[in-house]
Amino acid sequence: MKTRHELTEILDFIAEYATYLLGSGVHTSRAIRNSQRIGQSLGVDVQLSSFQRSTILTVRDDDSGEALTRVVRIPSLPISFERNSDLSALSWDALDDHLPLAEIRRRYDELTAKPLIDPIFVLLTVGLANASFCRLFGGDWTAMAIVFTSTLVGYAAKQRMQAHGLNHFLIFIISAFMASLCASAALRFDCTAETALATSVLYLVPGVPLINGVIDIVEGHILIGCSRLINALLLIICIAIGLAATLVMVKDSLL
Amino acid sequence: MIALDILLDGLFAAVAAIGFGAISDPPMRAFPRIALLAAVGHALRFSMMNYAGVDIASASLCAAMVIGFGSLWLGRGVRCPMTVLYIPALLPMVPGIYAYKTVFSLIMFLQSLNDPGQGMQYMQLFFLNATVSLSVIALLAAGATLPIFVFNHQAFSLTRRRRPGIRNDEPTNPASGPMPESATPHRPQSDDPNTPDHASK
Repeated sequence: MKTRHELTEILDFIAEYATYLLGSGVHTSRAIRNSQRIGQSLGVDVQLSSFQRSTILTVRDDDSGEALTRVVRIPSLPISFERNSDLSALSWDALDDHLPLAEIRRRYDELTAKPLIDPIFVLLTVGLANASFCRLFGGDWTAMAIVFTSTLVGYAAKQRMQAHGLNHFLIFIISAFMASLCASAALRFDCTAETALATSVLYLVPGVPLINGVIDIVEGHILIGCSRLINALLLIICIAIGLAATLVMVKDSLL
Repeated sequence: MIALDILLDGLFAAVAAIGFGAISDPPMRAFPRIALLAAVGHALRFSMMNYAGVDIASASLCAAMVIGFGSLWLGRGVRCPMTVLYIPALLPMVPGIYAYKTVFSLIMFLQSLNDPGQGMQYMQLFFLNATVSLSVIALLAAGATLPIFVFNHQAFSLTRRRRPGIRNDEPTNPASGPMPESATPHRPQSDDPNTPDHASK
């Protein structure tokens, strides 16, 4: 039997936990399962349904039958697989070790305070990755070098714009435009210029929302799955717009 | 020579997966396994397309399924959900050239509205490339997700530290029932080499 205050505390924690998961790119059924697992460890039943921007959740005390409901906004956080793994593991630990709420909260704060991967490291590996990608599509070494450089420019611009909180559609358009414009320098050299142009924007492909959307749809969360896919599609259209701006300028040398 | 081509293909796919994965902030312990999955998946698709004459869509589906099952198998050791391993591993298989040609032929179509013959040609190219890109992406996502539905019980408990039943035959851990909190930080992390991979099957 829980007092109303205890139940509210549990509700607030699970609301924060679930929206943190959904905000950092976890597919819906995992967020629901993890929240229910934490609820189970604390002796309450948790039901939640989620949309793209907000989540509705209800916590019900198994003993007294008292129920509380909240609608919570989903924060827009950077996608983080590390948080996804850590917080999922936390839900299992809570269940297996019967952790009290204060301890779960302490570990949650600890895990979410961990720093993200160093941005400079990400920048360099993204550059290398896109260069290898160019190679996979049959690009030669010159094209790879050009793709590496243009990815550095495009991704660094993206990081700066994200730090300033620019609208993310604009970020995608500008970043794709800058990267492809730099890559169009390949037309001056004797190399696989078309491959370089094509690959230069691929670091922007929104893989996580695409795949999460498919997972959600197949698991029956069709509404939010479609929302994710539409979101991913919009981002892909933004990439295409940025790339198209470059192509319109250089199309005569491509034919 | 063929073996070298396949190996190089796997190598570049692994570098690509690590870089694209880094954007989504995976745990450091997951990187070697992401690279392995990406290399195996992409090399498989490369071999199927170049030496067995399979089309890109079917080859992508097969490779994605291998990556999906691989992430189920490898996820246990590093306590990562399947998606953490397979989303970065799938990214090198995104059909970038087809996507690029889709955009390019759309632009060329819009530029050649006055010449219906040429316009038709570009429209045809547009649909061809768009169809290939969309089906490959859809099959990649579906193929890798399949194992979640086939083995959903295992897939849902990859991040669990203690497996059901292990409590009884674990000699180093005699305290059954609720563990005291003070003991939890000392327990071995998942990347502990003692964690047997075969037990996760």
